[in-house]
Amino acid sequence: MTTTETAPPVLEAEDVAVHYGGIKAVDGFGLRLPAGRIYGILGPNGSGKSTFLAAVTRLVPLTRGRLLIDGEEYHTAPPTKLARRGLARTFQTVRLLPELTVLQNVQLGADLHAPGGRLRSWLGRDRPSEAVEEAIERTGLGDVRDAWPTELSYGMARRVEIARALASRPRLLLLDEPTAGMNHSERQEVSELMRKLRDEGLAQLIVEHDVQMMVDTCDHLVAMNSGTLVAEGSPQEVVSHPAVQEAYLGKRWRSHA
Amino acid sequence: MIGWYEANLVLIEATFLNFLLALSIQVPLRLGVFSFAGVGSYGLGAYTAAILTLRYDVPAFVAIGAAVLLAAVVGYLFSLLVARLNGLYLAMATIAFVLIIAVLATNGGELTGGANGLYGALSDLTTGGVVAVCVVVAVLLALTERGPLRRRIEAVREDPELSLSMGIGVVPMRQMAFAVSGALGACAGAMNALLRTTVSPEEINFHLIVLALTMVIIGGSRSWIGAFIGSVIFTWLPSVLASAGRWQDVVYGVIIILAAIFMPTGLLGLVQTLYQKLRGRRSAAVTAEAPADDTAEERALLQALGGESRGGVQ
Ligand SMILES: Nc1ncnc2c1ncn2[C@@H]1O[C@H](COP(=O)(O)OP(=O)(O)OP(=O)(O)O)[C@@H](O)[C@H]1O
Ligand SMILES: [Mg+2]
Repeated sequence: MTTTETAPPVLEAEDVAVHYGGIKAVDGFGLRLPAGRIYGILGPNGSGKSTFLAAVTRLVPLTRGRLLIDGEEYHTAPPTKLARRGLARTFQTVRLLPELTVLQNVQLGADLHAPGGRLRSWLGRDRPSEAVEEAIERTGLGDVRDAWPTELSYGMARRVEIARALASRPRLLLLDEPTAGMNHSERQEVSELMRKLRDEGLAQLIVEHDVQMMVDTCDHLVAMNSGTLVAEGSPQEVVSHPAVQEAYLGKRWRSHA
Repeated sequence: MIGWYEANLVLIEATFLNFLLALSIQVPLRLGVFSFAGVGSYGLGAYTAAILTLRYDVPAFVAIGAAVLLAAVVGYLFSLLVARLNGLYLAMATIAFVLIIAVLATNGGELTGGANGLYGALSDLTTGGVVAVCVVVAVLLALTERGPLRRRIEAVREDPELSLSMGIGVVPMRQMAFAVSGALGACAGAMNALLRTTVSPEEINFHLIVLALTMVIIGGSRSWIGAFIGSVIFTWLPSVLASAGRWQDVVYGVIIILAAIFMPTGLLGLVQTLYQKLRGRRSAAVTAEAPADDTAEERALLQALGGESRGGVQ
């Protein structure tokens, strides 16, 4: 991997806080995600992981803190600007549009970059772009491309979410519990896909409860509790950190690797 | 001898005008916005066209065009005013908009003819002109029901937050819906005023709001075809029910209640579901591989009839 020490991180979050009235959902959390790396956030339920992703994607206002993409501040920019800057995300719950097929849901991800201006893309033939076909193929959705979301298993629906995010050809991908509800082999497939995408240069930030998968997938882990940073470092360092063991794992965790 | 067409010309014209009125409710509804402002725009358009025709004797297309433009601008400005409202509160604000238009019409003095309204707005508008306008509108709306624009609209209605994260501007889309709704409502009102040569404040009442909503809900709220089905039914139903005499209103009400219970996706939705069901059965028979597909079909039907629901917000 070519390490470019001088290049700013793809994503930088500094001292981010999100308060809902008295509830400090996130309270002084931050990280620096370099290009082509997978970072993971570990933390117990309610520790503020999803809220942090919402803050990073500008879907909730910051109480304080700074956000930067490629070294450029964006914490006052509207959320609609971020997709064009190469940011894509999935949500903790499946959020497919029920009246669109799998293919159409994935196409939505690529619409932003439709060539030839709006008018042509609205009037012209609506053939799936290369990015759409690629996203469908890589997530293994070829057989269900014309199915409706309600016909999919939960694990399949989650893949469509990932495909929709990939269809925008992002440089930065945020995934909130992407493998929740998947079986073991599905999880491994997703983990493999993520690592392949990383090797192609896609920076990823993953929130996931499956510790083994996080250790296997991520280059770097950040542990969070009560909205603040508890530990940070290599996966092995973080999962054996006493505070993490206590706060998140409840018991001693051992790698099966 | 008077043919069927001549005898029913008023109803035929009313069908097309009601079609446009229904669309003025349907367009925002497709974006998840419950707005009756289109009915107010109907009044605004009717008065604008009548006043221009009476005072300045302009050609019909100028009077209608001016009414449509004015209502589109007013609709847009109104959307800025109610930008922070949602759901029921927004619906109530738009009803208030309709009532304000009616009050302005009643108290407009010489300009609007007060409670009597305006008479004698003679113009060169023909039935053919009305139909032509409706065809153009239907074609334009059909374009919003396919491809990328359809996907955008689906996203904004079903999941505004998801839309934002995908770079879709929810607020501009809603503002555009208000402007288009205003234009459609005004077009219906303006053409009605010119065809009937009169307009009066009592036309812009609660009944018109109910009619517009009913046409969309019963016909189908997702497509212009649904609005057209609804406008045909509810323009002609009263004359069909005339034989029921004084029970007419009751029968009308019962039909609407039954339709709302048994066709939550409207007539169009019901037809589409049945069609899919039939096609599903046929393809299952051809491939002869579907074991006991009845349950799957039933599930699909139930899902289609029961509408859709999405999970939590996170
Ligand atoms: N809109 C909101 N209003 C008030 N409190 C909120 C809101 N959203 C989240 N919270 C609170 O903020 C805290 C962090 O929630 P968040 O969903 O970010 O946790 P999480 O780490 O993603 O948890 P999980 O692992 O269960 O998904 C919780 O206590 C939650 O109740
Ligand atoms: Mg969460």
